[in-house]
Amino acid sequence: MKSFELYEPKTVREAVGVLVKFGNKARPLAGGSDLVAGVMKDWVQGKGMPLPDALVDLTTIPQLKGIKADARGATIGANTTLTEIVESKELKDRFPLLTEAAQSVASPLIRNFGTLGGNINQRPRCWFFRGKDFNCYKKGGDFCYSVSGDNRYHAIIGGELCYIVHPSDTATALLALNAQAKIAGPAGERMVPFDNYFVGPRQDILNESVLKPEELLVEVFIPAPAPGTKQAWSKLKNREVYDFAIVSVAAAFAVQNDTWVDGRIVLGGVAPVPYRATAIETQLKGKNIKTSVKQAAAAIRTVARPMSMNAYKVDLAQTLTERTILAALA
Amino acid sequence: MNEKVDALRVVQDPAYAASLTEAHWQSLALDPTWSELVGEFHEMVAPVMALYAQNLGVPVSQVLRPATAAADTTPGRPEQFQVLGKRVPRLHGLGVVTNLGQFTQNMRMPGMLHTRTLRSPHPHAKVKSVNIAKAQALPGVVAVLYRGNLPAEYRDVKLGSGPPDRYLFNEEVFEVGAPIAVVAAENEHIADEATHLIEVEYEVLPATLDMMEGTRASTVKQWENKENGTIIAVTPPLVRGNPDTARADTTVEAVLTKSTEQHMALEPTNSLMYWDQDRLIAYYTCQHAHGSRAGLSQALKIPANRVRVIQPGYMGSGYGYRSGVELTEIHTAILAKITGRPVKTIYTREEDFVARTHRPEFRNEMKLGVNRDGTIQSGQFRVYSNVGAQRAGSANGAWFIMQDLYKIPNLKLEATDVFTNSFKSGPYRCVSHPNGTFALEMMIEKAAYAIGMDPVEFRLKNLNEEGNPDNKKPFSNPGIRDCINAAANRIGWKQKWHAVRAKEVRPGVFHGIGLAAHACSHGAGTNPATGQVIVNLDGSVQCVSGCTEIGPGQRTQMAMITAEALGVPLTRVSITTYIDTDNTTDTGGTNGSRQTNTGGRGIYEAAMDAKRQILAIAAEKFVDDAKRRNQQLQVTADQLDVKNGEVFLKTEPSRKLRLQEVVSFAGLPILGRAIYKQDGKWERTAWASHAVELELDTATGVVHILKYVAAHDVGRAINPFALEQQIEGGVVMALGAVFNEELLIDRATGLPLNANMLDYRPPSIKDVPEEIDVVLIEHPKEYGVFGAHGIGEPPMAPPAPAIAAAIYNAVGAWMEQMPISREKLLAALRNVR
Repeated sequence: MKSFELYEPKTVREAVGVLVKFGNKARPLAGGSDLVAGVMKDWVQGKGMPLPDALVDLTTIPQLKGIKADARGATIGANTTLTEIVESKELKDRFPLLTEAAQSVASPLIRNFGTLGGNINQRPRCWFFRGKDFNCYKKGGDFCYSVSGDNRYHAIIGGELCYIVHPSDTATALLALNAQAKIAGPAGERMVPFDNYFVGPRQDILNESVLKPEELLVEVFIPAPAPGTKQAWSKLKNREVYDFAIVSVAAAFAVQNDTWVDGRIVLGGVAPVPYRATAIETQLKGKNIKTSVKQAAAAIRTVARPMSMNAYKVDLAQTLTERTILAALA
Repeated sequence: MNEKVDALRVVQDPAYAASLTEAHWQSLALDPTWSELVGEFHEMVAPVMALYAQNLGVPVSQVLRPATAAADTTPGRPEQFQVLGKRVPRLHGLGVVTNLGQFTQNMRMPGMLHTRTLRSPHPHAKVKSVNIAKAQALPGVVAVLYRGNLPAEYRDVKLGSGPPDRYLFNEEVFEVGAPIAVVAAENEHIADEATHLIEVEYEVLPATLDMMEGTRASTVKQWENKENGTIIAVTPPLVRGNPDTARADTTVEAVLTKSTEQHMALEPTNSLMYWDQDRLIAYYTCQHAHGSRAGLSQALKIPANRVRVIQPGYMGSGYGYRSGVELTEIHTAILAKITGRPVKTIYTREEDFVARTHRPEFRNEMKLGVNRDGTIQSGQFRVYSNVGAQRAGSANGAWFIMQDLYKIPNLKLEATDVFTNSFKSGPYRCVSHPNGTFALEMMIEKAAYAIGMDPVEFRLKNLNEEGNPDNKKPFSNPGIRDCINAAANRIGWKQKWHAVRAKEVRPGVFHGIGLAAHACSHGAGTNPATGQVIVNLDGSVQCVSGCTEIGPGQRTQMAMITAEALGVPLTRVSITTYIDTDNTTDTGGTNGSRQTNTGGRGIYEAAMDAKRQILAIAAEKFVDDAKRRNQQLQVTADQLDVKNGEVFLKTEPSRKLRLQEVVSFAGLPILGRAIYKQDGKWERTAWASHAVELELDTATGVVHILKYVAAHDVGRAINPFALEQQIEGGVVMALGAVFNEELLIDRATGLPLNANMLDYRPPSIKDVPEEIDVVLIEHPKEYGVFGAHGIGEPPMAPPAPAIAAAIYNAVGAWMEQMPISREKLLAALRNVR
């Protein structure tokens, strides 16, 4: 591993100070399962993605940890571990979607170390991006190897130049729950709805979010869901433990007499960002869910543009969406 | 003798074999590559053995005779044995599960250096220049070894067969992962960082990545090759009867493929080496300490007795790829010599995946002719194997089952080994047999459906229970019929087997059931089989064996064999976990599932030798004791036996002596020893049948295994507990290869895509079927220790065809390309809807 300096700030302000000093040569460190045991161990680097000279350890900042819930909703510190989220009774009662999504991440060992912030901000799993000898767009290179290469796990929606899929289960769930991110930077704090947090390759090919190198995700706020909101999570994977989604679906919607009032369907594993399937939501609006879900789920076909080896994911996205919506109702 | 014998060429080139002198044959018998071929690729070596057995010091095969019942045909009756058949937990299990055992990876020495290797990112290239200046200047770097500064004495050292040659550092590299330079530094991270400071200039050359492309005449040759393209060897076909003209009512044809797999031993390959004056001491994660010693001794050009290899017995398994040494181990030894310090090398997971060997990719072009009455008429099977970037052979390894399992009167077997600039092939738990079993059993299944016959009945009708029709060696007490019947009964074949796609259990979810049979050469045992048994003055017993423990509990089993043979309680017997070449004799590698009948045979014969001595002394003592009491007694050794640590008169069991009294009477410890040569007359064969019941969700491609049955003829269950673990473990490992595991490369660059546990996806505990019903069938073998046949590898082969058969039964789609990945399954389902 390339050598680096380790900083252990006590406050967010101090941490931001180090990030400002090093620019894109510093990275915040939380659980480290992706950054240290992934990116740095495997020398995932390029012109647009230097390996860090400095790591800023966020686990030494007490403020970043913890779950608070009140009538407005829940606030979760970015450094809260996935295990803490899974074990929170308050979250489970009100946001079972998040609990299930967090529980579907990797393995118990990873969840004990992995944090919410780290899970949201982990880098993609594309095997070309991860391979140190593939100098791809995402690392500042000039090629996407997935277009003519083995793209069985790549994007079926929204790929342009780069065809990664967003790897985060919790991000998919949080977008469905209409959550917001609190970001701290040199100019203070700002709230960004997850609707605007993730960016696709056309907007920024080197990053998957609006987070700037000198900024930190400090906490996540989830608003209390409207009464009668149904939630469900599904994740299809090729291995039951320690695997990313081929397709995942997060559904959160308000229902009256089996009729869709309002809500969100978000798909993971299909696009460079957690993908809000508005085409499906629109088809369901004001309709009896049970009778229209089949046709609504098929609307994913109108937006999907599969690659040479991944058309099967379109079928899976459709099936899984239908099943997840019905599971939420049940 | 001035040139090393090329073991592989001996089996592939009959003219070369004929040209060998007696001295060549003698050296071949000691060659680790040959030893591995004999153990793992029995079927490749068999024709050579048949011709040259005398030169190799092995008895010639005998004429085929009807399978005679072995000495003891009754199924295991536990009361017959004191120790055998008891469920004995691993003697060293605590050290394994707690990590308190001495794993090589955990070993540290003062002043120890760490290495990291810079490897080629190109599948085929010329290394034009290497600049190590920046790496050498990094604080903490102690030495950098590369082609430019390799000591002169090692410049001609190479591993394996050529061409193309594999030198310590090639100028022309043929694979991604070929070593370019090795850094030794104060810690692993410095060594790693330094490799990234080495500047290499490559001239990229055209690579052949596709196996079938390698077979074409138009493909660029990479060395002086008399075959097309990059073909390594075309084995002379095996022809039985008249396969070209034989007629059949129905002929079934298919092309069946398997993709590259890697073992993924939990502990990555690693070593700790240092020089004690002129001797190399190497702690090494290997499956054959003496084989690794031979490899190091030959590469370093020092006699075998100046290399000491220790394998601590606590090892994160091997599965076949750790019998000899790789280039990295020789680099490590040289760096230890140059720096004068202990050197530790731990492969990264990616290196273990890429730089070592794999189960190769296979392609089988199959044609099977059957008559409507259910008799097989003919078979024409052509096997291709992608042996990767080296001269190796594995295609005809698939022949064994094709020759032996069913009666096929007209048969033609062809095999072609193809080099590609890709993953090197090598032993991997049953090597080529799972391919042969998958290919043959798929054909059997297709043929049965084609003629409308129950596949189980079809198998039973065509079983060959006599012997190998080609080399005329008989089977010993084959249990294949019992295996198939047991698997069918336990899965409920008669009640549950149904017409294709006939049982939809929930909307879109189909039920299916499948069965497969298996025969392979593994578990046979080989030469030399050696061992020593020491009986101390206090009556305690020590086993000394050169058998390398890699996880399955070989050494526990050896203690059990010793206790049984000697007639002492197991608690009286000890055996070290580790193996040290300084004080043991070679007893073959722990590969080819051979240690039951190799290390186990050696220790059995040694125990019998000790027992003979004990009985002789005991006879003297009985006479002497009587004399002291002024009595007259005539006792000879053959009137005595040992049981439960006591020597007694067979005619008067109450007259007995404790073992301790016998040994003290002589005043000297007893040393039993054996160097045993196997009986070569048998077609030693492992038999098995697996059956599976599953449900398949056609919308998601999720396959849920409801029940799995694995029936194996183990000859004799020495330790049923260990046997069950071996079989369960094999099934789980094979299921990983059925559904997920395939090592992929990018077709444009030749770079690996998923050389890590996350993307390669071995199964997790949650992916394992809830029930694996293990059935042990005991048909004692005449050649086996207490009738036993080895078990390690056979469970690996039947899962693929059994699952594929069950999927066909469920939904009517033939899955002809392994693995049955979700995308392939969903694509196939689209065609049968």
